[in-house]
Amino acid sequence: MPHVMISRKKCTACHMCELACSLYHEGAYRPSVARLRSECNPTTTEIKGFTCLQTACAKCQEACPEGAIETRVVTLEPEGAFDSAAKFEGVSAGHVLVVDENKCSNCGDCYDACPYGVIHEHPERKVAYKCDLCDGTPQCIVFCQNPHVLAIDLKIDKADREPVTRA
Amino acid sequence: MDFYKGNVLRIDMSTKTATVEPLNMEWAALYVGGKGLLFRYMWEYVPPMVDPWAPENPLFLMTGPFAGTNVSTTSRLVVGAKSPTTGILNDSYVGGSFAPEMKFAGYDAIIVVGKAVEPTVVTIRNDVVEFVPAKPKYWGMKTSEIEQALRDDFDAGAKTLSIGPAGETLNPWACLSTDQYHKAGRGGHGALMGSKNLKAIAIRGTGSVTVGDARAFLSDMERIHREFVLTDDNLWAHEEGTPILVDLVNGAGAMPTRNWSEGYFEGAKNLNSESFQKIRVKKRACYQCAIACRNVHAVNWHGARVVGEGPEYETIALGGANCGIDDIDALMKFNEECDQWGLDTISTGAVIGLAMDMTEKGIHDFGVRFGEGEKYVEMPGLISRKEGVGAELSLGVRRLCAKYGAPELSMEVKNLEMPGYDPRGAFGMSISYATSDRGGCHMRTYSVGDEILSGAVPAATMEGKVEGAISNRPPDFISQNFSSIKFCGIWCDFWAVNPLQVSQMLLHIYGRELSEDEVMLIGERVWNLGRLFNLREGVEADTLPKKLYSEKFAHTSGPSAGQAIGEATWADSLRRYYELRGWDAKGVPTEAKLSELGVDVRLPAGR
Repeated sequence: MPHVMISRKKCTACHMCELACSLYHEGAYRPSVARLRSECNPTTTEIKGFTCLQTACAKCQEACPEGAIETRVVTLEPEGAFDSAAKFEGVSAGHVLVVDENKCSNCGDCYDACPYGVIHEHPERKVAYKCDLCDGTPQCIVFCQNPHVLAIDLKIDKADREPVTRA
Repeated sequence: MDFYKGNVLRIDMSTKTATVEPLNMEWAALYVGGKGLLFRYMWEYVPPMVDPWAPENPLFLMTGPFAGTNVSTTSRLVVGAKSPTTGILNDSYVGGSFAPEMKFAGYDAIIVVGKAVEPTVVTIRNDVVEFVPAKPKYWGMKTSEIEQALRDDFDAGAKTLSIGPAGETLNPWACLSTDQYHKAGRGGHGALMGSKNLKAIAIRGTGSVTVGDARAFLSDMERIHREFVLTDDNLWAHEEGTPILVDLVNGAGAMPTRNWSEGYFEGAKNLNSESFQKIRVKKRACYQCAIACRNVHAVNWHGARVVGEGPEYETIALGGANCGIDDIDALMKFNEECDQWGLDTISTGAVIGLAMDMTEKGIHDFGVRFGEGEKYVEMPGLISRKEGVGAELSLGVRRLCAKYGAPELSMEVKNLEMPGYDPRGAFGMSISYATSDRGGCHMRTYSVGDEILSGAVPAATMEGKVEGAISNRPPDFISQNFSSIKFCGIWCDFWAVNPLQVSQMLLHIYGRELSEDEVMLIGERVWNLGRLFNLREGVEADTLPKKLYSEKFAHTSGPSAGQAIGEATWADSLRRYYELRGWDAKGVPTEAKLSELGVDVRLPAGR
């Protein structure tokens, strides 16, 4: 289903996405708890992006013994420019994986299971936290704003256009 | 507290202790952050008339209030000190990601004093500060090596500020490096750090920066980026970058060529924007900057790949034209060598150009002549190691000229070698260099923008230039007063902010709208505080190498041939500068001016 991806070729490692992400979710700029990550070796300038693929991956959901990672419908209202914008014509909703903090026991199974390292223990709340596409308006895309860069894309798989509920 | 962290970390290298003091918020209200707050802290914490090499002379790292937010271009750090090279204040700015990491670790500023007994690396993880021996592993490392070693040994996410071998040998123009290609270049802060036996600071922060109403701020930033930042006025920096200046400045006869003997370099076409675009491989950004002006280039030099960000225009001018080098591969290699050894490229290009000139003129044979790329790329290493001719070149331009009795070749102001604009092709740069608070520098007022880039005002006249240098007249002229408030922000030059935009940003901090006049007044306050500091420490007369203004030394060829400010006009311009500044004939700010500006310190009696 819908998820954000960072293009390692286009990304300049400005980290605007992490900053916006953390401000949106934490009420403060705190990139160490951002829901996505752009890593850059400053010498080689090689860049790697890490984002949650939501239901297209769902390893965290499969690993969770508490059933704390739920598939939820999110109303998609993406803002800002991104490559696949046209594919979202007529798509109004999608599914994201969301942590139910009441059920999460912070056992860490999902942290180990995540292939991209984008689900972690929150340093204060002591539960898992992850990308939820900002209630349908991903702030990382809003702030990947340079028209010559546009390194973050909102993707949607053809097969996932109809709501799918995973067990 | 929003924007500020409210903490200053004081590191004493002598006692290996670290203490936290509250940030002085009264000073922050008067001087904002960055340059202004640095100057206020320097006034308070630099012991008057201290020997710059003494352990008591502090090194300051100051952030701006927007570091660690997503306000584009404001991730910059200002490194400040009483410079061991110039003996006066030096505020040197650097992008990258160090300043935001300082904020996330909990600090607005870091003050380093004392001198460690043995070479040391300081690591900071939030509130935990440790002193790690730099020998045998880290001491001697080049800049990319020390950065990688600290990411491996301390924290994969660490940001570092380090010196290369040039800082270890106390080279007077050794710089500080961060994110490898980003340098606090000017004024020898690398030597000061080396004199404290401090090889590097590695910092990792996991805290936050608050901005009041988060969602409202986020929404305003989206608008500000769309309306003010990502516009054609700024995106040239992304698409072309500073090599765009080469053809323009050279075309105006203002490109220092062969040790400032000419203003036009016939080989510039090999080093212009078009040439760099051919070797461009990608774009990088500083932390929290949507413009992404860092151009990564790649060439081959003797079979080895040379890849790196830059060079920027100043490096092209001083390391290229000023050394008679038109080989882009050699220039890339020179840039890499300076980066790795930890040398400022402007001063390195200036001193090599001088050595070439002295060799050509038969004053002394340094074994390198204009255009000799193979030998020239060896120089940064020789200089850093003080090996062979490098031992003499590491004296710097002024002392080298004094040694060989050729003061007329000394192209520096207050012992800071001048950057890439010859005032004979852009008259306004004369006042810019002569009255800059840190010596020969183009960043305080940049007449080139109007004189050459936009062509809004004629280049070969002093008319309006003094006024423009002080305050924004004409409005696009980047003046000292405006750059002073801008460097409090700390906005980078690649967001061409204006007072109105600064006001809209400061609204978030002060909670009230400042008029454009108030914005400019803060800048003027900061500039005058800097002047007081320099007067307190003893500053040389504001002047310029005679070659750059006297009728006798006008260029004889090229686009600026025959142009000269003239000795009488130059003397008059300096007088007018003091007068318009509200300073007395000796350049001392009057009591009336200081009161008007709300400067909260005064010179001690007798200074």
